[in-house]
Amino acid sequence: MKTSTPPSLAELVRTRRIIVCCGAGGVGKTTTSTAIAIAAAREGRRVLALTVDPSKRLSDTLGVAPNLERPAAPPPERLAHAGISSPGSLEAWMLDPKLVADRLVRRFSRDDAEAERLMQNRVYRQMTRMVAGMQEYTAMEALYGFVQAGQHDLVVLDTPPARNALDFLDGPGKIAEFLEGRVFRLFLPDENAGMLARGAAQLVGKALGATLGEDNYRELQAFFAAFAEVFRKGSASVSTMREALSDPALTAFVLVTAPTSVALSDVFFFREKATEMRLPFGGFVLNRSQARDDARELPTRALVPGDASSALDRAFAKLERMAAVERAEVLRDRDLLADLARRAGTSGFAVALPSIAGGADDVDSLVALARAVLAS
Amino acid sequence: MLHPPNDLARSIPEIATSRVVLVVGKGGVGRTTLTGALALAAARAGRRVLVTEVGDPDGHESALARLFGRATFPATPVDLAEGVRGAVLHAREGHARFLRTVLPVPALVRAAIASKSLARLLDAAPSFNEMGVFYHLLDLMKEERAAGVPAHDLLIVDMPATGHALALTALPEPLLELMPHGPIADAMREGQAILYDARRTAAVVVTLPEVLPVNESLELVAGLRRTRIPVTRVVVNKVQDDELDADELAALAPLLEGRELYGAARVRSTAARARAVERVKAEAGAAISTVPELPLVGRELVERLATMLAPTQGGDA
Repeated sequence: MKTSTPPSLAELVRTRRIIVCCGAGGVGKTTTSTAIAIAAAREGRRVLALTVDPSKRLSDTLGVAPNLERPAAPPPERLAHAGISSPGSLEAWMLDPKLVADRLVRRFSRDDAEAERLMQNRVYRQMTRMVAGMQEYTAMEALYGFVQAGQHDLVVLDTPPARNALDFLDGPGKIAEFLEGRVFRLFLPDENAGMLARGAAQLVGKALGATLGEDNYRELQAFFAAFAEVFRKGSASVSTMREALSDPALTAFVLVTAPTSVALSDVFFFREKATEMRLPFGGFVLNRSQARDDARELPTRALVPGDASSALDRAFAKLERMAAVERAEVLRDRDLLADLARRAGTSGFAVALPSIAGGADDVDSLVALARAVLAS
Repeated sequence: MLHPPNDLARSIPEIATSRVVLVVGKGGVGRTTLTGALALAAARAGRRVLVTEVGDPDGHESALARLFGRATFPATPVDLAEGVRGAVLHAREGHARFLRTVLPVPALVRAAIASKSLARLLDAAPSFNEMGVFYHLLDLMKEERAAGVPAHDLLIVDMPATGHALALTALPEPLLELMPHGPIADAMREGQAILYDARRTAAVVVTLPEVLPVNESLELVAGLRRTRIPVTRVVVNKVQDDELDADELAALAPLLEGRELYGAARVRSTAARARAVERVKAEAGAAISTVPELPLVGRELVERLATMLAPTQGGDA
């Protein structure tokens, strides 16, 4: 099944059902995943951009409000501006952990009354308010929901800003592991347990009682008992999702980096992790790169007229210094791209997306990036 | 070489006056380099400094540790340079330290720490991880080298990138509502008393003189203030010292016309950079410092910045 030339980013954008963008914070992951979504929509696919970026700028740029109940399309004039002609082909949604958790509870409780009762649980209400960890726990569930619903040809996921961007894959697994029989039974003491298990349960109970305070511990136990069923069914759907994410015909993981040593070392780490976790590696995107621009020339003194003003003389000296910096960046980025291509080998692409002056905070810039994606 | 306008400081005096300095900003703005430089600068001004970051002592290489010639930091402070020690803030270490304070019997502590079941529970629940990190930080703050004498005068924390930094600083409030009593609540309140106190804690937000980083840093300032963390300063990093003035830009414009030259993009974004800095000054509601872009990397860059940022140098460079 291995081919000698791996699919290009453009090909993945045209054919896959799920594209997951991973990378360290600050590499332009959200921008890249939005550009990928726009690229697919320009090709006529129905695309959902699923983002966890809480910053307002993406919603400002696309004209899709944050905190919506469900995905929404940008206003028609912005879609037209982005060269997207078929209606309904681009939607965006910002991950709202509380909404995802509520949906999960409704889906897996016996009836509405039980769902309402569970959602009123004090521990549940506080937990869903906590930012820490909740994005990781709900990203998979949200992805599952949208892929199952089948209203989109492609879902592009911009992963949570974790140090390890693949944490979101582990999160639900950790809950599942916790709920898998033994450990969970230790947490909720079981009269039928053997001596050893009872001893372990007492230890966990003592430690947690002292740690959390006895009242809190009992409340937490009651919470887990009430939600056990929801968690169990939820983690089952997450395992289905995990399988889809491991299928190279359906999914591609795109590792996004920028030309900084930290971002690069993180992306190599993700690559290792992805291989370890058997996730289909799509390729590397070197974002904010100067590697593609090669039509430029270095300014030479010959350009300056003999009778130049002193302002022009000073300006030209500054231009020369800036040119030297830019030229050095171009050479550095070409080397980096070559290195990424070598590392990707026959298993993935390496593509540079251009650095956009002033940042990619408008539709035109995103369209320029989308074009670069399709030309890759 | 041009100097920054005289309303912009180059030094960061918080490193001389605060107990805790949180260095916050999105990835790629130079947060880690600046953290290293601030640690060296404070140590050279005579303070005992502990420099920390969130991570794993057995995890993959840390950029901050690399600045001090190490792959990672251990969970207990280690000497890095004259007056500078380093440690990683690690969830599991925090959990262990917490268990040691709340469990009455050492044997029980050992058993609890070794318990796979407990480890799995702590791994599974959202926020338990952040809780461990938070407690580890608190415990390091309280370390003493003699009775009543703190082990470190200053803790500098290279905070995680934006989203996770806010998750960490936002942790105590919902947690206290969830568990208003008990040892966790006590620890959270103790931490809050230090972190919300502007006399002891200063959050310094790092950004770049560009549109997007500035927008995001202003959101970050607002986010931190919502979690009641005192934001005292925004540091605009990589400010170019040889920006063109209006006359120079006008003189150069015809020469750039119709040509594709290296350097032209930087020249054209001169005004955008200036506007970005103006926007931070107008909207951050905090002191502003600028740090120049230097043609150096790694430890060399850190050394040079440490000299520039030394609190003894006073206000303007």
